[in-house]
Amino acid sequence: MLHSLLAPLLVAIAVQAPSPPASPPSSPKADEIEMCLSCHGDPQMSVTLPSGEARSLAVDREVFARSVHGDKLGCVDCHTGMTEIPHPPRPFKTRREFTIAYYEACKRCHFASYSKTLDSVHQAAVARGDVTAPVCVDCHGAHDITPPDRPRTRISATCARCHEGVSLTYAKSVHGRALTEDDNADVPTCADCHRSHDVAGPHAPGWRLQSPELCGSCHASKSMMEKYGISTNVMQTYVADFHGMTASLQRKGAAEGGAVVALCIDCHGVHDIMRADEKGSAVMQANLLRTCQRCHPGATQNFSSAWLSHYEPTFDKAPMVYAVRIGYLVLIPFMIGGLVLQILLHLWRVVVNR
Amino acid sequence: MSDYLVRFTLRQRIEHFSVMTLFTILVITGLPQKFFDSSWAEAIILGLGGIDRIRWVHRAAGILFTLFTAVHLTLMVGSVLTGTGSLSLVPTRRDFEDAIQQLRYYLGTADAPARFDRFDYRQKFEYWGLVFGAVIVISTGFVLLFPIAATRFLPGEIVPASKLAHGNEGLMAFLVVIIWHIYNAHLSPDVFPFDKTIFTGKISVERMRHEHPLEYERIKAQEE
Repeated sequence: MLHSLLAPLLVAIAVQAPSPPASPPSSPKADEIEMCLSCHGDPQMSVTLPSGEARSLAVDREVFARSVHGDKLGCVDCHTGMTEIPHPPRPFKTRREFTIAYYEACKRCHFASYSKTLDSVHQAAVARGDVTAPVCVDCHGAHDITPPDRPRTRISATCARCHEGVSLTYAKSVHGRALTEDDNADVPTCADCHRSHDVAGPHAPGWRLQSPELCGSCHASKSMMEKYGISTNVMQTYVADFHGMTASLQRKGAAEGGAVVALCIDCHGVHDIMRADEKGSAVMQANLLRTCQRCHPGATQNFSSAWLSHYEPTFDKAPMVYAVRIGYLVLIPFMIGGLVLQILLHLWRVVVNR
Repeated sequence: MSDYLVRFTLRQRIEHFSVMTLFTILVITGLPQKFFDSSWAEAIILGLGGIDRIRWVHRAAGILFTLFTAVHLTLMVGSVLTGTGSLSLVPTRRDFEDAIQQLRYYLGTADAPARFDRFDYRQKFEYWGLVFGAVIVISTGFVLLFPIAATRFLPGEIVPASKLAHGNEGLMAFLVVIIWHIYNAHLSPDVFPFDKTIFTGKISVERMRHEHPLEYERIKAQEE
C-alpha cells in the first residue's frame, strides 16, 4: 500500500490564519467545514509534489454545498487523519498516487458499489499496476459529486473521457444518436451493457455468449419496443434458427464453446448498430450478403434470403415455409389420428369376435 | 409340405435390419435437434456428448440411409424393368376396396374380412410412406447439409422450408413407426408379442392362410 511507503514525504502546507465563516452554517458539519475552508477556501492554495506536479488543495465552498454530500458529510469523514493542524506528512509522490489513495475512502459508506468495482476491468487494470485506470473519483468527481446519470448523456460522456474512439462510434449509432439528439430514456448508454461499478468488457468470460441476453433485455420487452414499432419476435426467431439454436446450446454447455456461431452483434454490429433499413447498415438487404460472406465465403445472393430477417414465416413474408408449416399442421394429426382410429377399430373387432 | 413358407429373402431381411438401425439412430439424433429447447432433448444432447457430435452422427447416418435408399430403389426399378421382379407392392384399385371392406368388417357391416394377396393395403401404405418420406428427408437433408450449394440454383427460402419439412417429416415418420408399425409388428393380438417374419424370413402356413390367403392359394395351385 502507498501508505506504507518507507519514506513518507512531507507535504508542506501553508497554514493561513483562520477567518470567520462567510455564511451561516447550513449543515450539522458546517462548523467543521468552515474550519477547513478557512485554509482550503483559498483558490490559490496548492502544493508541489515530489514529481514536480502542482496539486491544488483548494475546495470551492459552493461546489461542495451543491454536491450530493454537501448537506451530509464533513471534510474529515473522507479526509481521515487530518484533525491535527498542521496535518501530518503525507507520502504521495505524484498526483495519481494521491488520487488512488482515496479509492478506499468511499467504501466506508458505499461498500456495495466498492465491492462491485473489485470485479471490474478497471480494478483488474489497477491491480496490474496501471495507474491510469479509473478509481471512484475519476468517474464521480470528488468535492463536486452529483448524480452521474443526470442527464443521461453524462454517463456516456464520462466514459468518453478515456474511451474516445468507441464513444465516437457509439454516438453515430442508432442508440447513440437517440441518446444525444432526442435525450431518449430507453436506449442503452455505455453502462447499460457494460455495467457501471463491475464494468465488464468483451474479454470477460462468457461475455460473448451472454450478449444476446443484453440485447434481449430491451428488445424482448413489448412495452418498450412498441413505442418504436420494433418487433419483439427478434429473439425467438433468432433462437429458432440454426445460429440461435447452437448459441443457446453453447450457453448450456451442450455445444463446443469454441465453435463460432453468429450472435446478434455479429450481424448487427456492436457500438456501430444501425437501423436495419438504414444506408450502411450491415443487415440491410443490400449489404446482407456481404455480412453472410464474412462467415460463409462461398455464399451467393440467394443464400442471404435463407434468413427470413426475423420475420415469422407468414403467407406474405415466406409463402414456401408457410405452406410447409400448414401442410404438416394438417397432415400429421390427420395421419396419426387415422392410424390410431384403425388400431382401435381392429382391437374392438378382436374383442367382439371373442 | 412343411409347416412354414419362406416369405423374405436374405437381402430383404438385411434391408429391413439396416433401415431399422439407421432409422433409430436418425430419430435419436434428430428429434432432440427439432425440440432442442425442451428439457428431455437437452438431456439427450448432453448425454450423447453435445450437439456437435449429434449433428455429425445424424449426418453420417443420413448419408448411409441415402445410399441404402438409392441401392434399394435401383434394384427395385431394375428388377421390374428386367422382368425378374414382381409388382406385388404396387398399389391397385383392389387395395382401396380391401381397405373399405376391412373397415366395414371392423365396424360390423361386412361379414368377412378382406382377403389379401402378398402384401395387404396396410403394408403397401407403410412401404410407400417410407419411400416418399425418405425422398423428402433425403432431399431436404442435403439442402440443410449444403445450403450454399443449394442456394446457387434454388431460392433462399428453400433452406428454412427444408428445415421445417425435414423436422416435421421426421417427427411424422417417428410417430407412424412408434404407433402403427410397433402395433402391427408387436402389440396387435394377431402377432403379439413379436412378428419375427422379417428377421427369420419364415412365416407359418397357418398365418399365411389367415393373413395372405390369395398368395397362399396361388402358391398351392402352382405346387399341384
